[in-house]
Amino acid sequence: MTFEQAKTVLVRRASERGVEAEVLATSGRELTLSAAGGRVDEITSATRGGVGVRVVHEGRIGYASSEALDEASLAWVLDEAIENAALQSARGAVMVEGHALGRSDLIGEGLSAPVERKAEAVTTLESALTADERVDAIAFARYSESESEAVLGSTRGADGGYRNGYAVLMASPIMRQGESVKQGWEIDFGKEFHAIDPTRTTQRILEKVGRHLGATPLATGRHATVFEPEVVATILQLLLFSLSGKTVAEGKSRLAQRLGQPIASERFTLVDDPTLENGLASRPFDAEGTPASRTVVIERGVLRSFLHNSETARRTGQANTGHASRSYASTLGVGATNLMLEAGEGVSLDDGVIVTNLMGVHAGANPISGDVSVQGLGLRVEGGESRPVENFALSFNLFRLLERIEAVGAEVQWRPAGGAIVGARSLQVDALSFAGA
Amino acid sequence: MLTSSTAETVLRAARRGGADFADLYVERWRRRNLRVIDGEVEDAVSAIEQGAGVRLFFGTDVVYAYTNDLDDASLGDLVATLVRLRGSGASDGQVDERGAGGLDLRRRGPQGLHAPRIAFDAFDKSWRLERLRELDAGARIDPAISQVEGRLIEWEQDVLVVNSEGDWVEDRRVRTRCAANVIASEGDQTQTGFVGPGLSVGLELFDQNPPADIGAAAARRALTNLRAVPAPAGTMPVVIGNGFGGVIFHEALGHLVETTSVARRASVLTDKLGQQVASPAVTYVDDGTTPHGWGSSEFDDEGMATERTVLIDKGILTSYMVDRWGSLKTGYRRTGSGRRENYTYAPTSRMRNTFILPGDVHDTKDLFQGISYGLYAKAMGGGQVMPGSGEYNFAVSEGYVIRHGEVAEPVRGAMLVGKGPDTIQKVDAVATDLSTEPGMCGSLSGSIPTEVGQPHLRVSEIVVGGEA
Repeated sequence: MTFEQAKTVLVRRASERGVEAEVLATSGRELTLSAAGGRVDEITSATRGGVGVRVVHEGRIGYASSEALDEASLAWVLDEAIENAALQSARGAVMVEGHALGRSDLIGEGLSAPVERKAEAVTTLESALTADERVDAIAFARYSESESEAVLGSTRGADGGYRNGYAVLMASPIMRQGESVKQGWEIDFGKEFHAIDPTRTTQRILEKVGRHLGATPLATGRHATVFEPEVVATILQLLLFSLSGKTVAEGKSRLAQRLGQPIASERFTLVDDPTLENGLASRPFDAEGTPASRTVVIERGVLRSFLHNSETARRTGQANTGHASRSYASTLGVGATNLMLEAGEGVSLDDGVIVTNLMGVHAGANPISGDVSVQGLGLRVEGGESRPVENFALSFNLFRLLERIEAVGAEVQWRPAGGAIVGARSLQVDALSFAGA
Repeated sequence: MLTSSTAETVLRAARRGGADFADLYVERWRRRNLRVIDGEVEDAVSAIEQGAGVRLFFGTDVVYAYTNDLDDASLGDLVATLVRLRGSGASDGQVDERGAGGLDLRRRGPQGLHAPRIAFDAFDKSWRLERLRELDAGARIDPAISQVEGRLIEWEQDVLVVNSEGDWVEDRRVRTRCAANVIASEGDQTQTGFVGPGLSVGLELFDQNPPADIGAAAARRALTNLRAVPAPAGTMPVVIGNGFGGVIFHEALGHLVETTSVARRASVLTDKLGQQVASPAVTYVDDGTTPHGWGSSEFDDEGMATERTVLIDKGILTSYMVDRWGSLKTGYRRTGSGRRENYTYAPTSRMRNTFILPGDVHDTKDLFQGISYGLYAKAMGGGQVMPGSGEYNFAVSEGYVIRHGEVAEPVRGAMLVGKGPDTIQKVDAVATDLSTEPGMCGSLSGSIPTEVGQPHLRVSEIVVGGEA
């Protein structure tokens, strides 16, 4: 049985039993090639998929999933989902009205290049990195591609599907200059294999890691600060926690009572757009079948909307923004898609610190309070000249930082961050405290 | 789950493509997971997982692919991809015609050594919820108990391993675990207690472990911690409790004798067979055959019958834990230790049920004799280990001061710090009260069920880090 057929069977059986059900089938193909010593030394090739059913029965939600698509397995899954729903005490859940959503192909022939060319891309990258005399070792050099397909149907009329995918080239060299050793990584990705260029990736990696060689400790002090786009992507990922309708519904968002109020500098505008043409996280509808649309989250500093699925929207009394996310085996959550910081007039720094890396953000940041205390790596700028600096700790509060933004970069850099694809730009803030030597 | 002609086609394609050896792993799981907080259902999830993995050896180089589409074309594509990529790399394996003429499959299956008494489909969901509500009620032994979480995990796994040497092995593994996580609060203090028995059985788990007892035991642990004083710091003799106390040696010794690290020479115990690596009081065993053990199975995930492997005999290192790849790399005999979380991982050498055997101290109280000041680490929590050196730090989840040979006041926040290979040399007395407890062990091939265990034992000195 195909995923499409399994979906149809489950929706029909649920209707026959008088149960509202939504069936999501997701499947994917992955290929990972790692290179060492000038050849491909590790290969993982995989296809994985399954069908997940979410039932609403007497106002209660139940889940079950299967990777096997035979009749007996599907029957067991539906029975279990209905039984699981019956155990719940919380009532009031509803299945959203569905739409005919069509079938979309968002990737086409993007990954259809022969596998030998993909192997060549990663061995070229690995060899080019090794050829640089500052490179001591390579922790990993990897090509990976992923193609996924989603099919959705429900007893309330949802019916649609789409296919998407991307290719990634990444490596992490360990570089040395005298006593100074630095490890870093960089990633190049796109929806089409031919958009990836191993020569360009090599140069970017060497530049990105190499510029930190010879770093000296940064003295303790207050400095004007620019966060590079990669760091901003990390900061936006942290902010996403408080912007998720799920966090709001669970009473953990500091921003819960601030809709319509200024929460950031008026230079700061944040938009989530699943309809973005060629966006890596674009999709025609979300995991509940709500058609995709652009959501302005923060507009010139004013909080306009949280990101919601139907359940968090119902619990908070706010509008559903179509941000339901889930795979066949998981329960309903909220997820951003292409989250973009709108362009500013550009940043410029004559005297201060450019923060290029934040380490240990997951351990050193409290997403609820927004307190961040982490180790950083950067460039000290004085009189227009820059030199690498290290061994400093940076402490700030996320929410206060947003209010203090003085300039936003003009150029966008797309980065994967926490399941979303973030269109990040540099951010400049007034003096921050750096604890160093 | 698969016909023999499909398996043969896949393995033959692998051999024709130059693989020296190939195996095919197919599995199907049914899982249920029920989580209840303060008597209300938080999660109730059921799942079927099904898939296959193909592994090709070219010398000691291994490539792996997996899918959960089990039809012939999909499996054929997997092998074709691996062979094509491998061909574009450097060395090709030799083509061997043995596989081309049809495999003479030797079929073996489980004898039911660990089979459940109560079937996976017995009882309804509300029966299960009732058991977790009993656990909740059992935990309410004090007004300070502020939250009770109960979990019931049920797994049923069917496995098939077929390889190019002609093995066709089927196994069935059924496991059930029930866990209580209890929070006790008083003033600004909050402490937790965890107890979680699990075995290769069905719901008869509750016959030996009544739910109310599980809840009460976790609650007592939380309350002990709530009323404990900060732990002392310094180097001192430590008595480590039986059962989950064995987690220290699992992490800081067991992982060092898996060929996964030994074959890469990444373990300090590489090339130490026949040498004294532990105190003569220590005999350390990894046993995949313990009846109904949480980490038991009749066959490993490479299709080899499991066995009882003596790793350390009276202090002498006698065996490593060896999988097929490790055996090829090192020449050591395979020990039925190839394991993996599921079809998305290739197998590596892993522990099963690993424990220290009973010693000669018949009365556990005698272990405490002669300790004027020390720590009794009755129950252990989580920790970290550097795999190469065996350096570890472990939190004590239930601890007491030992004073003048007697167990005195409870302490919290104690941390044991040391190196596994040093600590095992300093074990100077072992009691006879061996017990084992289930856990989940994470490594290269995913998270798998294992038991850790030991009798009460005494270590002459360990660095104890107190509360900061």
